[in-house]
Amino acid sequence: MNRRYRPLAPGLVARLTLDTDPWLSCDDCFRLVDQYVEELLEAPAGAAPDAPAMLAHLRGCPACADETTTLLLLAAEDRGLDPGVAVARLRERS
Amino acid sequence: MTAVGSACMGTSTAVGEDWVRALSVPGPLQDEAMSLLHDLMLRAARRQVLRMTPMLGGVGLDVVDEIAHQSANDAMMAVLAKLGSFEGRSRFTTWAYKFAVLQAATDVRRRVWRERAVDVDRLELVPDRGATSEQYAEAVDLASAVRHAINTVLSQHQRRILLALVVEEVPVDVLADRLGATRNALYKTLHDARKRLRAHLRETGHLADLTSQAGTP
Repeated sequence: MNRRYRPLAPGLVARLTLDTDPWLSCDDCFRLVDQYVEELLEAPAGAAPDAPAMLAHLRGCPACADETTTLLLLAAEDRGLDPGVAVARLRERS
Repeated sequence: MTAVGSACMGTSTAVGEDWVRALSVPGPLQDEAMSLLHDLMLRAARRQVLRMTPMLGGVGLDVVDEIAHQSANDAMMAVLAKLGSFEGRSRFTTWAYKFAVLQAATDVRRRVWRERAVDVDRLELVPDRGATSEQYAEAVDLASAVRHAINTVLSQHQRRILLALVVEEVPVDVLADRLGATRNALYKTLHDARKRLRAHLRETGHLADLTSQAGTP
């Protein structure tokens, strides 16, 4: 049986062992994400919504993180806000 | 413009009540609300599909639109089925968008992976030879510890899920489809696997190495 080899680069090691506490499920992320992106958009510059479980989940779940980014872009556009600034605010928190 | 139409542009302060009522009560307003909701779903689905087009490998706008329309239709049904769960914690539009975004993202990922096999049983993790000589010894030591932990501390199920999701980067919903599981269940397995690895590496004294490399891309 042919084996496939993958190098354990530092980035991969970090992703394999990522700290994703406090626990939040994908279902709960979906339930809360609309409220989270609006709080993110409405928070004053430099202030973050107090959502450690959401942040931990978005760090650990690429699918939820990608969908959250799109939702943030849409909600920013609805408010006439710069989507680039909105995404930067999300990334600096996760 | 009606109250629902205003809500669509994000200018109404009573969006939630208007949307839920308009979508629930048969009549001309319901027809209009349905049409506006479909526009919202299509906008959100198209945005998600466009963001993922690099994964689709050079498809044209006709394919983007085909996926977006199908996703928007499915998402609209999901929104109408869940209408009673809208609590007004966000604008109705933001709440509704998330169904279209989820549906479109899932549809694209399934499409991208439909011809691809998922096989982690032949996968072997090896030390990174790209590291500089200065980093090499430390990197090899840490990689060896992580590899050993994956092979000895995790259950067979945890190992397979961890390797598929993190090393092979199989999307969680695609893997859920293949295994007859849910996205939630697989993420929980991943969370538990990571936690168990971290606990073991803390015991072996490698957690400080992990912390120092946490920001490495």
